[in-house]
Amino acid sequence: MQKIEDRSETKYYLITLKVNGDSYTRAVKANTLLVNFLREELDLTGTKKGCELGDCGSCTVLLDGKPVNSCLVLALEAEGHEITTIEGLSQNDKLDKLQEAFVENAAIQCGYCTPGMIMSAKALLTRNPHPTEGEVREAIAGNLCRCTGYVNIVKAIMSAAEEQQ
Amino acid sequence: MGENYEVIGKSVPRIDGVAKATGRAKYTGDLKFPNMLVGKILHSPHAHARILNIDTSEAEKLPGVKAVITHRDVPSTKYGLSPARWDETIFCIDKVRFVGDKVAAVAAVDEETAYKALKLIKVDYEVLPAVFDPYEALKEGAPQIFEEYPGNINTEIHQHFGDVDKAFAEAYHVRRDFFSGQRTYHSPLEPHVSIAFWEGPKVTVYSSNQSVHYLQYHLARVFGMPMGNVRVLKTHVGGGFGGKLDPTGLDFAAVKLSQITGRPVKMLYDRKEMFYNNRGRHAQYMELTTGVTKEGKILGVHANFVMDGGAYTGLGVASAYYAGALLTVLYDFDNYKFDMIRAVTNLPGCGAQRGHGQPQPRFAFESHLDHIAEDLGIDPLEIRIINARKPKTVTINDFKVDSYALKEALEKAREISGWREKKGKLPPGRGIGVGNGGFVSGAGYPCYRTDLPQAVAIIKVHDDGSMATLYTGAVEIGQGSDTVLLQMAAEAMGYPLEKMRIVAGDTDLATHDFGAYASRQTLMSGWAVKKAGEEVKNKILQTAAEMMLVVPEQLDVKQGVVFLKAHPEESLTFEEVARTYFVKYGQLIGQGSYKPPKLGGTFKGAAVGTSPAYSAATQVAEVEIDEETGEIKVIEAWDVHDCGMVINPALLHGQVHGAFYMGMGESIWEEVLFDEKGDVANGNLAEYRMPTALDMPPVTSELVDSIDPNAPWGVKEVGEGATTPTMACLANAIYDAMGVRIESLPLTYEKVWRALKEKREKEKA
Amino acid sequence: MYLPDFEYYAPATLSEACELLEKLGPGAKVIAGGTDILSKMKQELLFPKAIVSLKYLSGLSEIRLESNNDVIIGAKATHNSLIDSPVLQEKYPSLCNAAHQMANNQVRNIGTVGGNIVNAVPSADLPPLLIALGAKIKLVGTNGERVLPLEDFFTGPNESIIKQDEILTEFIISEQSLTGSTYIKFALRRSGALAVASVAVAVAMEGNTCRKARIVLGAVAPIPLRAKKAEEMLTGKEITDELLEEAGSVASAESKPISDIRGSAEYRRDLVRVLTRRALRKAINEGHV
Repeated sequence: MQKIEDRSETKYYLITLKVNGDSYTRAVKANTLLVNFLREELDLTGTKKGCELGDCGSCTVLLDGKPVNSCLVLALEAEGHEITTIEGLSQNDKLDKLQEAFVENAAIQCGYCTPGMIMSAKALLTRNPHPTEGEVREAIAGNLCRCTGYVNIVKAIMSAAEEQQ
Repeated sequence: MGENYEVIGKSVPRIDGVAKATGRAKYTGDLKFPNMLVGKILHSPHAHARILNIDTSEAEKLPGVKAVITHRDVPSTKYGLSPARWDETIFCIDKVRFVGDKVAAVAAVDEETAYKALKLIKVDYEVLPAVFDPYEALKEGAPQIFEEYPGNINTEIHQHFGDVDKAFAEAYHVRRDFFSGQRTYHSPLEPHVSIAFWEGPKVTVYSSNQSVHYLQYHLARVFGMPMGNVRVLKTHVGGGFGGKLDPTGLDFAAVKLSQITGRPVKMLYDRKEMFYNNRGRHAQYMELTTGVTKEGKILGVHANFVMDGGAYTGLGVASAYYAGALLTVLYDFDNYKFDMIRAVTNLPGCGAQRGHGQPQPRFAFESHLDHIAEDLGIDPLEIRIINARKPKTVTINDFKVDSYALKEALEKAREISGWREKKGKLPPGRGIGVGNGGFVSGAGYPCYRTDLPQAVAIIKVHDDGSMATLYTGAVEIGQGSDTVLLQMAAEAMGYPLEKMRIVAGDTDLATHDFGAYASRQTLMSGWAVKKAGEEVKNKILQTAAEMMLVVPEQLDVKQGVVFLKAHPEESLTFEEVARTYFVKYGQLIGQGSYKPPKLGGTFKGAAVGTSPAYSAATQVAEVEIDEETGEIKVIEAWDVHDCGMVINPALLHGQVHGAFYMGMGESIWEEVLFDEKGDVANGNLAEYRMPTALDMPPVTSELVDSIDPNAPWGVKEVGEGATTPTMACLANAIYDAMGVRIESLPLTYEKVWRALKEKREKEKA
Repeated sequence: MYLPDFEYYAPATLSEACELLEKLGPGAKVIAGGTDILSKMKQELLFPKAIVSLKYLSGLSEIRLESNNDVIIGAKATHNSLIDSPVLQEKYPSLCNAAHQMANNQVRNIGTVGGNIVNAVPSADLPPLLIALGAKIKLVGTNGERVLPLEDFFTGPNESIIKQDEILTEFIISEQSLTGSTYIKFALRRSGALAVASVAVAVAMEGNTCRKARIVLGAVAPIPLRAKKAEEMLTGKEITDELLEEAGSVASAESKPISDIRGSAEYRRDLVRVLTRRALRKAINEGHV
């Protein structure tokens, strides 16, 4: 990690982040949060900012396969880890099973929580392909949704899990 | 429901589902424009203070700062969503009235610079005494917050229908109870964002907003511009619930900052600033007196309420009227008195939140009614059946109610919840409760006085007939209006849904509509869409008749096929007919407009609560209480809704789930709290506790058959009505479980614990 | 919201990290998972000039069983790695359960045990149980290391005895005689809520006789609080429901709660009574749960 200073003595750090399988090199300030790096530097705006304090889960991304709140991770700290965002889930316009299940089960309303919710669900199903309803609720308890009461979200995740079988 | 429909009545997936599931859906905050600046607003640190001086010079000197504005740079025109009380200015001029009031704004090259600039603005304040409680505000000698509201009285309502005193005198039993409801906040997941840029004399504003029309109207009015020079549009909106209906400081500041800098300016609220902007649910203090016969029939009701409005009015006058107006709808009684005082305080201004003004009065009335039932020895569900309004009736305050299936909803809820087997028979700590609610299907009159229609829609069929686009001013905020309106358009046209596109919520490119509030779009925007679709259909049938050498009456069109009714095998495709129309007559367009008939009475405030159609809902919920800690577990809930014809059942049930969810959150966990200075003490999503997936019980959502004659295909509302029964439903379930009545919302664990402790102490004594 | 800027250092070794902290002085803070420090900075509660990252320090995330049966938990272990640890699931499932009650899944994936301790938040979920289990901590500084009971670490809300140059590296649980332990948290929502009150207990039972009891109260005092009088009245006694009830009352009297937006002092005191009794009964009957 190379340190660079501009004329006003502001310090920048040259980092390379691996996002959705590709490497991106950027000079960032130390206070650059991963969520802002994704949204501002890479235009990956599927990762949303909801509360900025790790309480709502809208900014959930996977760090080495584990869901984390990207609003509470420094871009500098994310170097060396594999980052997956919602944009990395569908390949060549083919939706992930979870994305399909969310659409089919009316699990989306305003959609603002959806990317983070799907990332939490994705990590769950990768780790535990056949979760109980309780395990699904536990896995998404850090993702607030103001619209759906989680009813159809839980249904969608369970149905995506079933389909995997 | 008898009729055979092709597109409506079906659970088609929402049209924006894939975009939202893949992260491709752009919300306002996701948009970027070349050369764009970032703006922030400076908020007052004091609840009540005179502004002596504002010095912006240091902020202006900060490299990267492009503009700093205060009240000196913007019009001083007062505004508010409802013209009944225009009392807010873009920035405070003489004084600030709550912690979070708008003082100045900056635009800078990035967010960090904008934040730093805010800290460099020096404001000299003379701090004034502040008042945070409506009863304190109404006392003599209380600090006066507005010159125009002597005694801090913002709104005073006294309505009397029939003769309540006589009704009480004749009643077998008269009971009085007192309840209170807390401040809550919509908390949409997407924070408010506004982006503005200018091209010559015209400004374009992207705003995360529920009504492009009202925002356009208020921006034009305050800046003294023709409405045609203000274009307001929205992209995907991340939830509203009433909180994105009022114009915000962001919208006004973005317009001005982008004008000064000649660059696009993006402004957004962070989570705490959203609590400052507020417009959430008022705190209400509700005294109810009701007289009943021995059999439980309600003879008269007196509602005597006080409401904490916070600092600015917005739509608050309507909230005050709604609080009492809709109490007359569910149960049929002939004598009603409604007294209300809406006081101003030095707290963020309140407004419309899901169910507008009436969820708390419903909490009060439905709790009160359970007490009355107990006094009389009648089952709580039964006393509701006894009093339930019948269809084709008129309320004592002149609301015409045509379809109304509350009785059927109650009966169905009794069946599916197992009420008879559970009521009074559950193990210790467990309880079951019922609550009723409902709402208007669109307010009979717009927020400001105008003769404009409620909604206009245009459908344009593409030249070769291969596609059609619906243009509407209705605003999709997550509730599914884009999908539902397209289903309606396709049904009315006889066209396949897959070939329909939508342009919505754009004052330039779409049509006039007042937007997403008062549960109005399915009925009101739907009417306009239906008429537009029917006009297209008529033109298609006319043209096809010319092509087939028959008369239009012999033809019908469904799913893109025009056919002879008598010989369906003789047909043309919609496409070829549409193309022929285009060649012969020009663009194939259908237009529809909707304006309700004159509704309601002539007394003061008679307009509030009028609607073409009223929904009704019954909820039953089961709870479990930890008798030592007061912890409440909601075990299961049932909702039965009379919402007329259903256009998309999957979306509709989703609305019920969400409405119950929000109602449950407001019942038990959610409350906006303030510190001793009047600053929001829990302006974040850790301490403003919306329920998580682990808190949410299973919910069964069922319907009763009902078709409203005043609505397109008989539709009615669902999204707000289903929030209104929940608070009482849960309070009544707690009472059933433990024999303690929590009279103030939220029904916190600590309140239950305290009530149980007091009950035990009383039993000991 | 924005994060004020700072200088960032990511040293390669522990000694380098301690030296950096000493050199940079009180304006420098350590970042491990970052969930707590970054949210405090965004809320303008903390303004570090420099941040020293532990990201390149290896070997601090391990959870292992030593040959002498000591359990070692590296300070950089995340809450979720505690939950998933076969060693803890075998020896102290109670710790897995306590870790599980912290915040939400996303925070548990990155928030570390060390961070949870060093931040010294009175409502933190792990300190009460770790203290009840007699955990010791290792602090490494420029002048070497020291090992001390976790109980002696906290001095007040957000305050501890840690020195500017010191880094918390590991927890050691070496007590072998305990037969049961548990942590009960009372919060106002099932996930993502701080404790209103919490109680951790650890007991050494012999038949129905209590040989040793440790009761630690969370969120009801400036620091995690040992309810020593309640512990004493249990020691050497035959356990009865009445005795546990009494222990709850004594612990309740020992607590020093304040009233805040999550609950009144009076409510918290009563919760301590109920939770203490329940926790004791659970640990006595069910072991390390």
